[in-house]
Amino acid sequence: MIFDRPTSVELVEVVSEFLEKEIKINLPDHLAFKTQIAINVLNIVKREQQNEEILSKESKEILLNLFKDPNKANIRELAKQIETGELKLDDKELQEALIEITKKKISVDNPKYSTYKKLIE
Amino acid sequence: MSNDLQLKIEDFLLKNGKEGKVSELIPLTGGASAETWKFTFSDKKKSEQLILRKGSGKKSPLAVLKSEEAEIQQKVKSSGAPVPEIVAISSDDKDLGDAYLMNLIPGESIARKILRDNKFSEARQKLAFQCGEALAKIHSVDTNDFNQVPKKPIREELERLNLTYKSFNQPLPVFEYAFKWLNQQDFTTRKDALVHGDFRLGNLMIDESGLAAVIDWEMVSIGNPMLDIGWMCINSWRFGQSEKVVGGFGDLEEFLEGYSSISNEEIDNEEVKIWQVLGTLRWGIICLIQVYAHLNGDVNSLEKAAIGRRVSETEIDLVDLLFLGGK
Repeated sequence: MIFDRPTSVELVEVVSEFLEKEIKINLPDHLAFKTQIAINVLNIVKREQQNEEILSKESKEILLNLFKDPNKANIRELAKQIETGELKLDDKELQEALIEITKKKISVDNPKYSTYKKLIE
Repeated sequence: MSNDLQLKIEDFLLKNGKEGKVSELIPLTGGASAETWKFTFSDKKKSEQLILRKGSGKKSPLAVLKSEEAEIQQKVKSSGAPVPEIVAISSDDKDLGDAYLMNLIPGESIARKILRDNKFSEARQKLAFQCGEALAKIHSVDTNDFNQVPKKPIREELERLNLTYKSFNQPLPVFEYAFKWLNQQDFTTRKDALVHGDFRLGNLMIDESGLAAVIDWEMVSIGNPMLDIGWMCINSWRFGQSEKVVGGFGDLEEFLEGYSSISNEEIDNEEVKIWQVLGTLRWGIICLIQVYAHLNGDVNSLEKAAIGRRVSETEIDLVDLLFLGGK
């Protein structure tokens, strides 16, 4: 890493807070709404920066466990094998893999989403 | 520009036997393929509030023409379902272009307000039953009346959704699973009907006594009526109130009771679940269409870019419905 602090996460964080606390409150409704979308997007970037490494590593392990072949342990292969029927719909390991990988995605995209909150309770 | 439009509307109304003045012409937020304007029309006797719906000129693959939308609403109105009354229809090549005028139905369409404001608390109690009744009336409309409404048999519709999904070359294993699972389901239990196609909060006008009007008919088709039932029951349209299966305000039982009070059709929860899976997948693919309109450079839009990361909301809803007993 050749870059100094603030880290990318710290930069995104400060912009997000600036929009939230100083900009949004001074805007008419429709622009405040749009600004909230911008804040949400920055928060996705922040969570992805913070967690990408561990979430990708854990997902890789799930896929390795399913395929037993490092060359196949990727999302494209998973999608392909469901489509072709190589993986069967009633395969419990497949179902478990889909649940766990999807939880990791939504934990970055929108951790406040109702279904995600229900499933991690 | 709005002054020009004002004169055009006055001319058009005059041709339709209504002489008067147009004032307070205000644009409302519209869908992707339409603009919507609100205005006051005053003649010698009275003033009334009207709505102009006008095609953007770009024919969207998802939407029917505005003039068709108006004709459909006229026929649906005679079935007894609540829809705004059509005042005049303008055809593609003259007057206002592809457009129509209708009565403004007073009420609220913003989901957040309908689900949270005290003033709608009584309406929320009745709304699931009323939505069931309205859908049953819409589905009872004689489909032989329509030549121009696209027929969308559900197998073909799934195939079309699959091709759209594939065209983005973004593999989503949960979507692949859902397509495969849906292909194994039996869709032959219902007769084809007029399907609204986007029946949910946002496209319903609600007043203090409940459902006042069903609006935004641009996704209308002839197909399996269960599409409307399932669409109303997906988590994407509960706006955070996920414990209330129907639109974030009602229970499935009341909704289906309202439906069968008009149609005599029995629908069970298992069948609804199939259509919730289909509806969730359909919404996920509509999100993909929007985000790729941004990524391909057709439009540059923060909202459309952001919606790309809402696809995983539909994925988590799908795994919940398919594997974890989700409702």
